[in-house]
Amino acid sequence: MSLTLELKKIKRTGFFPAFLAGGIIAGAFPVINTAARPEMFTSMSGSAAEILMSANYETIAMLNLLLLTAGACILYHIEYAGNGIQKMQTLPVSESGLFFGKAFLLVPSFFLMLCIEGTAMFFCGIHWFGESVRASAIAGSTAVGALAADFLRCFGFAFLLTLPAALLLLLFSSLCRNMWVMLGIGIMCIFLATMLPDDNFLISLFPFAMPFQTYAGADRDLVIRCIIAAVSETLVIGLIEIILIRIRRLFA
Amino acid sequence: MNIIETKNLSKSYADFTAVSNLSLHVPKGTVYGFVGPNGAGKSTTMKMLLGLTRPSGGTFVIDRKSYPHNRVKILREIGSFIEAPAFYGNLTGEENLDIIRQILGLPKSSVNDALELVGLTQYRKRLTKKYSLGMKQRLGLAGALIGRPPILILDEPTNGLDPVGIHEIRTLIRSLPEQFDCTVFVSSHLLSEIELMADNIGILNHGKLLFEGTLEELKENAAMLGYPTDNLEDTFLALIEDDNLKRGEKR
Repeated sequence: MSLTLELKKIKRTGFFPAFLAGGIIAGAFPVINTAARPEMFTSMSGSAAEILMSANYETIAMLNLLLLTAGACILYHIEYAGNGIQKMQTLPVSESGLFFGKAFLLVPSFFLMLCIEGTAMFFCGIHWFGESVRASAIAGSTAVGALAADFLRCFGFAFLLTLPAALLLLLFSSLCRNMWVMLGIGIMCIFLATMLPDDNFLISLFPFAMPFQTYAGADRDLVIRCIIAAVSETLVIGLIEIILIRIRRLFA
Repeated sequence: MNIIETKNLSKSYADFTAVSNLSLHVPKGTVYGFVGPNGAGKSTTMKMLLGLTRPSGGTFVIDRKSYPHNRVKILREIGSFIEAPAFYGNLTGEENLDIIRQILGLPKSSVNDALELVGLTQYRKRLTKKYSLGMKQRLGLAGALIGRPPILILDEPTNGLDPVGIHEIRTLIRSLPEQFDCTVFVSSHLLSEIELMADNIGILNHGKLLFEGTLEELKENAAMLGYPTDNLEDTFLALIEDDNLKRGEKR
């Protein structure tokens, strides 16, 4: 029920158009980037997915995080602007249900963005790397199928690694009555993540740094460790929100 | 039978006591007027009853259900309107009520019913951020009345309404126990307003209950204590002034 309620609440906020437009802009980036200098990329060694992801994903991840920040802002701004949250607190609905309802709206919207971006990357792979893709196709699978599988793995990995940041942004948003404070915190965290050294595994576990890691080129062991860390962080952030709700009720 | 009963309910913030050992008795099927000057602790008391504020001490029971164990069950029975109307500005009046309807699991017709009750039917498709203060106030009331709950907690519901609106809402509140078999716990800082709709009243000053009973009992009490009784507003003012003087002496 929480999800349908949240869906009703975001009417006319521009939430879905923002994610759709964000997905299209982020998806257009690799297409324009590759179209502008195809020889540079096609002459590189490595698989198409590896080349395209390393050339474009950092910018895409940045756009994704900025949009997740805006999305999380919108989701709680509607609660605080007209004090709608107070009405919710006087109704038989749990505050944690409210939070997770919003999370279930934010995460699929981000997934939609990733799908658009993945499709755009896949198009780049087919269009500019057709020859090399066919050459490197694994035995028993078609070249197109192998490329699609590569991107599915890359974007599946990106999805999992962005979950902690998405949930943390929503947690910040639930704490800040003033939307601008939340926007400031979100943007600071994103820029902080870009400044952190990426050769230290522990530092790379900072929720806003994780989305900048790519599957392509990473060794299997690192991928597994990153996935475990992302899932654990997501669960911990969800738990922290539940605890915070209880604490706020205690001091109300 | 009392549908709302508080026992030594208190709320303190650091060095300030907003509500002190409040013991209220709200009989079922009546309109209970909760009167007091600004800052007396009326809203804090109502917030405690709704679980928005945690009491520092004391207990309360609503429809034989105790707080906090039965918080959700209690909220299912209460329609409330606290301080200012709370709504989603990006939604229409109808959509705002539909959200409440969905949470309470009410039929779709209850939205139109609530809009009709507060006279907002013709503005139901308008965005609430474009509503006037009076319309927002009415929408807040509609949000409390939707589904005709057995208990209504209304905090200064006529604030911001024009004289016609005040009269309409007052008449509506007065008629609610008979029409919908409910209990209304309504606050105001005007005794003149409360006397027109309440069966019982409670007078609060600086978080302390100065009087609880019927209007007749208030008049009798006031006469015994030598307060003016011709005009209830004067009785109320004398009662508050006397209490303030006593408090000043204590300090």
